[in-house]
Formats: sequence, C-alpha cells, structure tokens
Amino acid sequence: MLQLIILLVAQTTVLLAVSPFLVGLIRKVKARLQLRRGASLFQPYADLAKLFHKQPVISTTTSWIFTATPYIVFASILTAGLLVPTFTSQMPMNFAGNIIALVYLLAVGTFFLILAGLDAGSVFGGMGSSREAIVASLTEPAMMLAIFAIALTNGSTNVSTIVHKTALLEGIVTDPSPHLMALAALFIVALAETGRVPVDNPATHLELTMIHEAMLLEYSGRYLALLEWAAGLKLAVFLSLIANVFAPWGIATTVTPAAMGIGLLVYVMKTATLAVVIGIIECMFAKLRLFRVTDLLGVAFILALLGLLFFYILRS
Amino acid sequence: MTKTEFSDDLLTTAFPGILKNHPICTQSSHFVVPKDLVPAITHYIHTQPSLRGRLTLLWACDYRPVRETYGLYYLFTLERSHHWVVLSTETAGTDRLFPSITPHLHAAQWYEREIRDMFGLIPQGHPDLRRLVRHEHWRKGTHPLRKDFSWDATLGRQQGEHHFRHIEGEGVFEVPVGPIHAGIIESGHFRFSVAGEPIMQLELRHFWKHRGVEKLFEQQLLIEAVPLAERVSGDTTVGHALTYCQAVEALLHLEVPRRAKYLRALFLELERLYNHLGDIGAMCNDTAYALAHAHCGRMKEQIMQLNDRFTGSRFLRGVIQVGGVTRDIENTQLTKIVEELNQIQQDFSEVEAIILGNASLTDRLETTGILNEQTAWDHAVIGIVGRASGMNYDLRRDRPFAAYDELPVNVALYRYGDARARLRVRGDEIHESIRLIREMRDKIPGGPIADQPSSSPNPGDWTLAAVEGWRGEILYMVMAGEDGRIHRCKVRDPSFVNWPAIQWAVLGNIIPDFPLINKSFNLSYAGNDL
Repeated sequence: MLQLIILLVAQTTVLLAVSPFLVGLIRKVKARLQLRRGASLFQPYADLAKLFHKQPVISTTTSWIFTATPYIVFASILTAGLLVPTFTSQMPMNFAGNIIALVYLLAVGTFFLILAGLDAGSVFGGMGSSREAIVASLTEPAMMLAIFAIALTNGSTNVSTIVHKTALLEGIVTDPSPHLMALAALFIVALAETGRVPVDNPATHLELTMIHEAMLLEYSGRYLALLEWAAGLKLAVFLSLIANVFAPWGIATTVTPAAMGIGLLVYVMKTATLAVVIGIIECMFAKLRLFRVTDLLGVAFILALLGLLFFYILRS
Repeated sequence: MTKTEFSDDLLTTAFPGILKNHPICTQSSHFVVPKDLVPAITHYIHTQPSLRGRLTLLWACDYRPVRETYGLYYLFTLERSHHWVVLSTETAGTDRLFPSITPHLHAAQWYEREIRDMFGLIPQGHPDLRRLVRHEHWRKGTHPLRKDFSWDATLGRQQGEHHFRHIEGEGVFEVPVGPIHAGIIESGHFRFSVAGEPIMQLELRHFWKHRGVEKLFEQQLLIEAVPLAERVSGDTTVGHALTYCQAVEALLHLEVPRRAKYLRALFLELERLYNHLGDIGAMCNDTAYALAHAHCGRMKEQIMQLNDRFTGSRFLRGVIQVGGVTRDIENTQLTKIVEELNQIQQDFSEVEAIILGNASLTDRLETTGILNEQTAWDHAVIGIVGRASGMNYDLRRDRPFAAYDELPVNVALYRYGDARARLRVRGDEIHESIRLIREMRDKIPGGPIADQPSSSPNPGDWTLAAVEGWRGEILYMVMAGEDGRIHRCKVRDPSFVNWPAIQWAVLGNIIPDFPLINKSFNLSYAGNDL
C-alpha cells in the first residue's frame, strides 16, 4: 500500500516537474535553429510562478464554467497522465483505466476548454472553440486506432501492461510495421492535440489564426497558469506515451531504487529527444492552412488503420 | 506629333469647352474645366483606349479668404506615356456641392469622402457618404482643412455611430478586429462577415490616428517642413522627405547637384532594402515559418545598422534636405556599403531559395489573397501590390527622378496577384536595389551635395512631385503661400490607394489567412490616416 502511494506521488511529481521543462526545451531548440540565443530552459517555471502570483481578471459576462474550467482541465489531464507510464511500468493506477479512459479523460479537458472559449462571448474565443472542436473530433479516432494496433500485439488495452510486456519483449511480433504505422499516426495526433506547428502555432500573436491560444485569451493570473501548465502536461503525457509504448527500453520494470533511478534518467532523455524533434519540425514547416489540417489528420487515421490491418495480415 | 500633343488634342477636340493652361511640371498637361463637365471628362480620360488614364490624385484647396472659392484638382496618369493630365475646376465658396465621379471611377471613392470630411464640400451622387476621416465623435461642421479652422483648435465631442454594412442570414457572423491588436501594429479596425471560416465581406474602418498632418504643413515655412514630411510614415522617411523636397525645389527653381541626386537614390534604395527584407520575414512568420523570419530579421537589422553607421540614423532621418542631402557618403564608404550588401545578397539568395522551395510555405502563399488585374485597375492600385497584380508602374522607370535617369531599373512584374507574387516582387526588388547601388558606386560624380535656395516662390504657385518609395508611388502637391509659407500641402502615401483594394483581395479566403494577406500588402496606417 505504502509502495503504491509513494509511486503515485512520484509519478505525479515527475509529470508536474518535467512538463514545463519540455516546453522550455522546444522553445530553446527553435531559438537555436533561428540563430537566437533564446530564453533559459527554465523560463516556463518562472512564467508559471509569475502567473500564480498575479491577480486574475474575470469578465463579468462569464458563468461558473469559466472559473471551473482551469481546474477541470488541469485535473483531467493530470489524471490521464497517471495512466501513462513514465519512468516505471509498475503503474499504481493501472487498475483504474485503460486506453479508452485515457483518450476520454483528455477529451473531458478539451470539452470544457471549448465551452470556456465560448463562455466569455468574445469573438476570438468562439473561433478558437469551433476550430478546436474540428481538430479534436478528428484526432480522437486516429488516436484510438493507433493505440488499438499496439494493444492487439500485446493483448491488453492497459497502457502500462502494454509497456511492461514490450519492455520485457513478451509477445512482440517479428515484423514491426504495425508499430511503425501506429507511431507515425500517434505522432501526428500528438502534434495536433498539443497545438504545435503545423497544426497550430503556440508562438503567434495573431488572434485570427489561433486555435488553442484563442480559447485562453480571456484568462489571466492563476487560471492562465493552470491552463498553461495543463498544456505542458498534455505535451508530457503524449511524449511519455510515444516514448514508452514504442521504445520502452530502460524503463523500470521492477520496484527497486536502482531500476527507478535509471528509469527516471532514461525517461527524461527519451522525452527530451522527442521535444527536440518537435522543435526541429516546427522550424522546418510552415503552419498548414486551417482546412488542410483535416487532410493531415486523415493521413494519421489511415496510418493507424493500416497498422491494424498489418497486424492481422502478419498474424495469418 | 508628340504623345503629349496627341493626348491634349484628343481632349480639346472631344471637349471644346476646356481651357489649356500652363503645365505644372514636365511631362504634364493642365486643363481648366467647368465643374459640371468633370464627370464626363474624367470618364473619357479613364476609358478612352488610347489614353486609359489612371486616377492618381484628387485633392481640394481652400482659396478663401483671398477669393471665395474652393479649387478641385484631378490628376490622371496616362497608361502608355506615363504623362500626367491635371484637370482643375473651382466651386464657389457658398456652393458646397461638386459632382462626384465615383459612380464611374471607383478609385475616386475615398478621395471624395476625404474632401467631404476635410472641407465640407459634398460630392453629389457619391454612393457612400458615410464619414471617412472624420469619425462620428467629431462635432458636426468640423472640417479641419478649411482656412477658417484654427490648427490648434480642440475638437469637441459628440455621440455618433458608424453604420457598417451588414450581411444577414443563417450562420453569418460578424467578426470585429481592432483597432487595438495583440501585436505591435498600428490601429485599424477590420470588420469581417463570415459564414464559418470563409470571408463574405470585409469592411475597413481606419483613420483612428488623425494627426492633422496636412494642417500642420500649412503652419510651416516651405524650407523647414522636411522633418514633418519624414514623420508622415516612419518606415518611409526618405520616400516622403524626398518627395516633399522635390516639390519645394521645383517651386524654388533649385537645381540639385548630381552627386546629391545619386545619394538620394542611394538612401531611397537602402530604405527599400530594409523594409522589403523585414516584410518577407514577417510574411514567413505569419505562416509560422520562423526560420526565414529570423534570417530576414537579421539582414534587416544589418542594413539598419549600416544606415546608422553612415548617416547617424537607423531610419535615415535627417539625411534629405531642400536642395540636396545633409550627409556625404565618400566613395571609400560607398565601396564598404557595396561590400556589405554583396554579403547580404548572398545570404538572401540562400534564404530566398529555401522560402521558394519549401512546399508547406508555398502552399500557404499560393492562391492566398488574390487581387486580380481588373480589380487592381479599378482601384488604381500601385506599388508592390500593383506590380504583383500586373500593374506595370514604377516611377523610377516611368518618370525618372533623382539619379534614375542614369540608372535604368528592371521592374519586377507578376500577374497572379496572390501573396506569393507579392513576396516575389519584394525578393526581385531586393536584388535589383543592390544591383542599382553597385551601379551608383561606379557612376557617382564628385561635386557639392547641396544647393542653397535663393529665390522665393510667388504665392499661389503650386507643383506636384512623385517618388517611387518602397511601398509605391508617393505624391506631394505643394502650393506656396505668403512669405515662403505653405498654403496647402496634399500628402498621398500609396497606402491610401491600396487599402480599399484589400477588401476585395480577401473575399473567399478564410479568416486565419487574413493576417498573411494583410502582411503581404503591408500598408501604412499612419501614412493613410495623416
């Protein structure tokens, strides 16, 4: 019991602590590739601290949804994060939910964010909400199919069971093509869900082009801090999912301090590598036209579907 | 028969009632016409196939208290010969009406509304008589350019509402943007009517920062107003100062030394370079392609630092003066400038290859914000935006000023009219400007850099000057007053002409592409609002 609690606390702490770092790292990589020096890697922590100390301003036209949303979004994404293994595959919350729960926990956050975007009645919030709804409805099926392709090979829909088995090389197929297809699909989904280029531009000041940021425009102070942190958490959740499902090696499969230590180190390295890759992608591509985003997410869906098909073809 | 005589004869034959006057400058004709003939004559000049006059400027002038009249002036540039035709007419001070030419000459719409706001003269038959410059909170009867309006008067306030055009229907929404924006941009209001994301209508509401520039000119001496001209639009310091100085020099019969003319061309090209580089970077940034933005930003900064080193001002302030220039650039310095620009050109060629080769960026730029040739012609669109839509105008070639008579310019011209065409015009002009500066280094003569004015003009003398600034054609009409003062100065930044055209370029595009389209036009708010 005690062990479970300690693991739970450790998992939560790691997610909360690592997520701003990943955001800072992507910014740093982008800055470096643009010949800029860039802000410190730890700037996002300072930003969060600053925002928590600021007084929030709330429009008088808003309802309870507006003030409740930051907490709901933050809590749902953090809970989703507890279903995804980070440094150990011995997940204390494994019993609590599988992939479907994970997908819909993330969807709860998105749903409330969409409502909050509409709640203040500002033009930009509404535009952001309608766009976010398009993107979210298209990422969901692609994400489900991609994880199902992996789940089939491992015979479980629980993420930590999948990771645990893959790490121990149990039930792995000789041909990795379903995995590769699912990886590509999930990576595209991750870019879309976390609002990165080429789907959304987190660095823009142009309200008319925003998706995620447009919904946050009315927020300030600690509410904004929570939402920014939640966005970072979402990034961390997706990167952990990709890193550990497709490359679980190094993760702690036993509950010993040494294995945990190595697991933590490897985890940070893996997610950091993925963050660098995202930073490079953001420098290589322009943002897609809004209506081309559906094409990109369609590609993700097809890739995930192919992954599923390959599994059956390879098995027979 | 020369082209000038040919077009003049056409006009005098078609309209026997008009009177040929002394031309106001070279390559131009001036006619005095009766007021009620104006619509017919302007229509004729605009549509007659061998003339095809483009409305270039329309301005009014208050002659009171000397005589009880207002003057109205119409300037056309003829399509083929680039010859100027000025029509002037008068309306009695008590009769505040004049016939509108907007119903058949679309390009006149903002000019006539501006005249209505600033002088209280009413264009009869104008289809849209809402206030333009004079926002609704200005008191009724406030017309700042009338001579009986004191320049330092405080404007009273009143309640008023601007009536936007509405599109109604299921699923049609209005999206108001501005005049306060999130970025460091100027104040302008854009009102979109959208069905989902596609734009059905865009209506502009500008003129939030009316500074009374034209009224301030009237308080100045002819030879002292250069700093004011420099501040009309900060990014076009040289363009505006140069146009103003050329007008004043024409009034004072000043001959600018050749060396000064070359230096003026040099400063104008440096201004073009830093602005074009910044624009290309900013366009890439609006598509989230930050790499090109960073590199273009660096090159822009290099040129601004170069400006600072050789002239003492990053924005080239204070380098142009009436009669010449204030700073000499020695030939050794010129060689250094050329060396640096060669390096920048090399870097820019690389960045340009990356920009034009990037598929995702090309997808964003192509077919975005198309301004077709007919719409461009109807709005008399000029400058970069015009040249991207097939409007083949460049004053450096068509009506050479400064040293451009000895420096032939290859004009960049594209016909697609989309954001990519506007980016390519800028790219080509960067190469051309650097080539021109190299040519200047080889051709620049020695000698003095300024001439002192000795005469003073007769009150009532007026002239026009035009310069191809980096945005396009800048025009100044300067009329001399008593004791070397300015009686009237009409300032026309190319932005004033090109702003309305953006309302057509965005139709059918989606809202998230608007910032990119707006950036590809990159028009000045300050130069427009005056």
